Amino acid sequence: MARAMRLFAFALLVAIAASVDRNNFKTCDQSSFCRRLRKVEQDNSKYILNLDTLQVSAHSLEADLLNPDATFKFTLTALAGNTFRLFADEIKPLHKRYKVVGALDGEPKLTKLEVLERTKQEVVIKCGDSKVKLIAEPFKIEFYNKDTVVAVVNARGLFTIEHLRVKPQEQADGNEELPKEDPGAWEENFKSHHDSKPRGPEALAMDVTFPGAIRAYGLPEHADHLALRSTGPGATDPYRLYNLDVFEYELETTMAIYGAVPVLYAHGPENTVGVFWHNSAETWVDISNSKDTNVVSSIVNLVSGKKDENKVDAHFMSESGVLDVFVMLGPKPADVVKQYAALTGVAPLPQYFTFGYHQCRWNYNDEDDVKNVVEKFDEGDFPLDVMWLDIEYTDGKKYFTWDPVKFSHSTVMLNNLTATGRKLVAIIDPHVKRESGYFLHEDALNNDYYVKDKDGKVFEGWCWPGSSSYPDFFDPTVVDYYSNLYSLDKFKGSTENLYIWNDMNEPSVFNGPEITMGKDMVHYGNWEHRHVHNLYGLYYTMVTMKGLQARSPNKRPFILTRAFFAGSQRYAAMWTGDNAAEWSHLAISYPMCLSVALGGISFCGADIGGFFHNPDPELLLRWYQVATWLPFFRAHAHIDTKRREPYLYGSDVQMRIRNALKLRYAHLPMWYTQFWEHSRTGEPVIRPLFYEFPEDSNVLDIDNQVLIGKSVMATAVSQHSASSASVYLPGGSEQLWYDLSDFKSYTGSGYITYPVNLDKIPVFYMGGSIVSRKDRPRRASSLMHDDPYTLYVSLDNNKSATGTLYIDDSESYEYKKKKYLYIRFNYKDNTLTNSFIDQDAKYPTLSWLERVVVLGASNNFRYATLKTPKGEDTILQVSYDSEGRSLIIRKPGVSMREKFTITLH
Amino acid sequence: MMPSIPKLPAKSYVLCILLIVVCEISTSEVPRPRGVPLSHNPLYNPAKDFVCLDNSLSIPFSQVNDDYCDCPDASDEPGTSACIHGTFFCMNVGHTSTYISSSRVNDGICDCCDGTDEYVKGKCANNCQELGQSAMKEAARQSELLKAGKQIRASMCEMGIKLKAEKKDKLVIFAAQKIEAEKIMREKEQIKKNIEELESAALEQYRQIEEENKRIKQEEENKKNRQEAEDTFVRFDSNKDGIVEVSELQSLHTFDRDRNGEVTVEEAKYFLNSKDSMSLEDFVVEAWPAMKPFLMLDEGLYKPPQPAGVGEVEEVPINGEEPTTEAEFEEAADEEGVNEEEDEEDEEHPEEEEEHEETNPEVTYDEETQNLIEKATAARSEFTEADQSVRDIQSEITKIEEYLNKDFGPDEAFAPLEGECFDYMDYEYIYRLCPFDKATQQQKSGSSDTRLGSWSKWSNQNYDAMLYDRGQSCWNGPQRSTTVAISCGSENKLTSVSEPNRCEYHFTFETPAACYKATTEGIKDIHDEL
Repeated sequence: MARAMRLFAFALLVAIAASVDRNNFKTCDQSSFCRRLRKVEQDNSKYILNLDTLQVSAHSLEADLLNPDATFKFTLTALAGNTFRLFADEIKPLHKRYKVVGALDGEPKLTKLEVLERTKQEVVIKCGDSKVKLIAEPFKIEFYNKDTVVAVVNARGLFTIEHLRVKPQEQADGNEELPKEDPGAWEENFKSHHDSKPRGPEALAMDVTFPGAIRAYGLPEHADHLALRSTGPGATDPYRLYNLDVFEYELETTMAIYGAVPVLYAHGPENTVGVFWHNSAETWVDISNSKDTNVVSSIVNLVSGKKDENKVDAHFMSESGVLDVFVMLGPKPADVVKQYAALTGVAPLPQYFTFGYHQCRWNYNDEDDVKNVVEKFDEGDFPLDVMWLDIEYTDGKKYFTWDPVKFSHSTVMLNNLTATGRKLVAIIDPHVKRESGYFLHEDALNNDYYVKDKDGKVFEGWCWPGSSSYPDFFDPTVVDYYSNLYSLDKFKGSTENLYIWNDMNEPSVFNGPEITMGKDMVHYGNWEHRHVHNLYGLYYTMVTMKGLQARSPNKRPFILTRAFFAGSQRYAAMWTGDNAAEWSHLAISYPMCLSVALGGISFCGADIGGFFHNPDPELLLRWYQVATWLPFFRAHAHIDTKRREPYLYGSDVQMRIRNALKLRYAHLPMWYTQFWEHSRTGEPVIRPLFYEFPEDSNVLDIDNQVLIGKSVMATAVSQHSASSASVYLPGGSEQLWYDLSDFKSYTGSGYITYPVNLDKIPVFYMGGSIVSRKDRPRRASSLMHDDPYTLYVSLDNNKSATGTLYIDDSESYEYKKKKYLYIRFNYKDNTLTNSFIDQDAKYPTLSWLERVVVLGASNNFRYATLKTPKGEDTILQVSYDSEGRSLIIRKPGVSMREKFTITLH
Repeated sequence: MMPSIPKLPAKSYVLCILLIVVCEISTSEVPRPRGVPLSHNPLYNPAKDFVCLDNSLSIPFSQVNDDYCDCPDASDEPGTSACIHGTFFCMNVGHTSTYISSSRVNDGICDCCDGTDEYVKGKCANNCQELGQSAMKEAARQSELLKAGKQIRASMCEMGIKLKAEKKDKLVIFAAQKIEAEKIMREKEQIKKNIEELESAALEQYRQIEEENKRIKQEEENKKNRQEAEDTFVRFDSNKDGIVEVSELQSLHTFDRDRNGEVTVEEAKYFLNSKDSMSLEDFVVEAWPAMKPFLMLDEGLYKPPQPAGVGEVEEVPINGEEPTTEAEFEEAADEEGVNEEEDEEDEEHPEEEEEHEETNPEVTYDEETQNLIEKATAARSEFTEADQSVRDIQSEITKIEEYLNKDFGPDEAFAPLEGECFDYMDYEYIYRLCPFDKATQQQKSGSSDTRLGSWSKWSNQNYDAMLYDRGQSCWNGPQRSTTVAISCGSENKLTSVSEPNRCEYHFTFETPAACYKATTEGIKDIHDEL
């Protein structure tokens, strides 16, 4: 008894020391396929490409790929945008191998290739500036940008596809001819869970070397820095991609969390190359960066005068599936990210309000509570667009129902919110309460909608409602059924102003292995959960999207998701899950969102204040200031925390939070325009410095600074009682930066020590940009729709600047019918002009130009003239601030629909 | 319920008349820039340039309300949303005039009841008259409520003061009683002490005699027992070799403990203390004590004290059989043990008393001693009574002192609430507030109370909020606590309960005891602009 007590006490101590319970989650060593693939012998590849079987078509090459035990069909396809697709599958597989469906945004566009050379040992093809050399034995593929090799597949010979086979009979005398297999190859246990592995081992792996690369980025989602660290056997575990509900996740680890995007970017000063590992099974990726291993040899080389070649090695390992890989050859970061977006798609333009402020808590107790919170926001003059309801609004965690007492008048509540221009978001999770009489459960049972266990019985797990089952969203019938639940006649008590939060969609199963579904559960088409695990969350949001579009055909949906995969940007915004009220968690919000944005999902945010525990007022107000510059802007808190709505604090804290919110609201036109452009180009809305300054070797590891498009740069202040922040100003002496708080100008000459107080964090406008703002923040963004614009013209070294502005009705799909304005502003030779990028697009906006603020203008202007095609010239007053840093052109008053020219004199 | 206008106090009449005047003024309104309060109108002269009210800037009057913010103090745009720190004045004729933030001008939401804040879209109706009337009615209702409440409060205060005074009086009486009772107690103590000395001396000789008797009796017992043992030894020693052996015992069915008709070697050995044989001396010391009860049982002379004891004797499993039964026994024993402990506690006092009365009924004392004993017993009982009386008075005093230390608010208005409890029912729980004592929560399905806090203090000097803390701890969380917001009402009523933070409850409680603010509050601010 006493011993048991001591053990218990010890367990408690451990729990306090490290928040996450690492024991719940596998290491590579505890995963049979990761163990097997990491053990593959280097530089001894058994794979041979049989070039005798080579077939060349307009867009692709095809040949047999052999290893001593099996034959595969290998295909190389040339795609538009400097991208190549590698594909390999067994010619006669025992079972079909899973091919990912749902991540790609349609079939990739093909392009023509040209064979340059062909011998028995190698084939070289050309496609634009790129070349690919296929080498037969040992199998290897080299990718060239012009004549520089930028990526080599199977350079280290780790390429492996385990062909499907029948389990060898165990022989009593121990047949020594059979190679000894990994003990988990045919079935595997983790903690108390058993994986029956009915198809046996079916893993695959591929190594890629990126000569000349000095950093690797990507592979979200990890609670880690943006630049990937080196991993390897005996040291750090590989980056793991397996969507998991990790309670109180730890920072700076390669552990898997909620989302997975298997895209990797290898970046060097000359070339940036991407690899998209198109696989939805559990995946581990080892990274080896020569900078981390060359320390000793570089000293030797310093003496000998020899130069080490920079390179990054990556080793992708997946548990199952076909081999399907996209190699994107850039050559610049923006190119390669756009190439990735061309494959998996972009976020469709969200509604304007989605960039406003979202107020969430687990939970607002009832309708009165919601009403009171909104009233307090209004009394305190805190802008607010969206109120959120967590799981407690439901009737006993039965989604698509409302608590019959606390939320019995939900439509009244919704209408009260919309009366002041607000919206409501409610949570809908995939687990279904197994309660007889619950229509969703009854329908799912009667129509066979649930995921099954290996024996064909409905899978039962444990989640918020207790005993739960999980609809199989891979089944098209289930998609139709479930998406229809969002219709107003099905989801009683909802209105068109209700939007949706999809949580727990990894899926989270409290009593499952690693808090998720067992891998031998069975989905539609007889695929095992192992094959499709990382897709479950994406499919779930796809269903929600379909449902909301059917419910409100002319309103753009808003969906927030926790689990995601490559392509999720087409359906939902995401947030970084259950973080904590700690400075370190505030700090990690920028790197995590930057990484996710490079993974195609720009609409990212972190819970303001931190989900677990209670932030002190300083942490909270800093969090608001920092989060102002991430796309998704929501405060959220755990049920056990104290309330922390801004109006609950002292007047100084309130004032600072109010200022952060109002600064955010002033910049909403910028966010909206950025997302419009993202939907057109695929470029991320938030960008790390290396994205815009790829040649600057100083920015490689900077991830506490974020660029919004090409116009704003914010630096997170994530230290208690900070009196200064170190800010890197990139771009060299030619590049100007303007402090947003006082318009003081700087050049891009590297690190500065920027003094901070509690009022602000370092935010700069980039010289050469024009930012459109609405400087009349109101209660809610929808109430600002007709408000006038102020242009902030930040001049570059040549006294010129450019910027864009997108305007439409903020909510509908009318923009698809060309009902919008997409305006370019140019400032050059003391003259500001506008032009319409899509000349056939029109929108009857009531907004007009209120003010132009020119930063970096010379100080001798006396007035300005406004010319419009219709009117006569109008004289406009100009004035300077007391420091002479900004010139203000007073009230041009011209409609944003009109063409104009404003000239300074 | 609602008082009609003629019943309003004279002051309100004046207000009504003034309002009518305002209506007339507004119909033939003095021209003034939009959003400017009448009092500031003279500062906006269209014939002159406008000087920002902070004197920072002079601008042409055409730039007043031109939807562009020129003045740092926002004074040039009283009627538009152009200045972020500006305010807009709603005249709200017929109702209360207000300022709203400039950010609410032309935002599509009707903030002023006269609708003047939404002049671009002009979609707001003027409902100031209705609102003004209902506000007036509400104010009148509040005033009535306050008036009624104040009356009740007055009686509560009276009662509170009376209660306190009564308690104070009682305290004086109890204090006097205590002195008296202590005096008696000390006297009784002295009497008891004196008589007990005599009693003790008298009993001493009897005690010696009694001990001697006991000793003799014990010796006789021992002798008798020895004799019995020797007789038995001789009886068992069938071969008369002066040694009792296992085989000799095996012939005696008395030792067949499992009643299977056969005395096994183990059974026999059990009584010989695991030995094969025994001499007389060993037999007397080692075997006899174990054997005797069985022999007596055989002869029907011995009755085990409890049924459980019989069970044990009869069913001691030799080979550890029937473990289940054993376990059950243990459990039963444990349970009994617990009960015994409790019983012991309960019986503590009576036992102590019995100790004194411990007299040997067999002993007869001489008359003098008997007399002394009776006197001493009486003295002890009188002392106990006197002592208890002091304690009782002290406990009353403590209670009163605690009461007198409680802060029942100005004029002791809240005092009558002490000792009362008020319930509030939501769909799941019954909440109960017992002012100055505790707040509790009980599930409707009827489980036991959860304490949400014990009376701690008034949260502030205004006597409008109470704190009850140190309630039951939440699982994985803090101790529960409750704040009670107090407002004026015509009766004592718990009006709402919420849990804004986990385990932190918020009650609202109406009571006439809180009705002491100025009657005119709420309506006196109407039209301070006039």
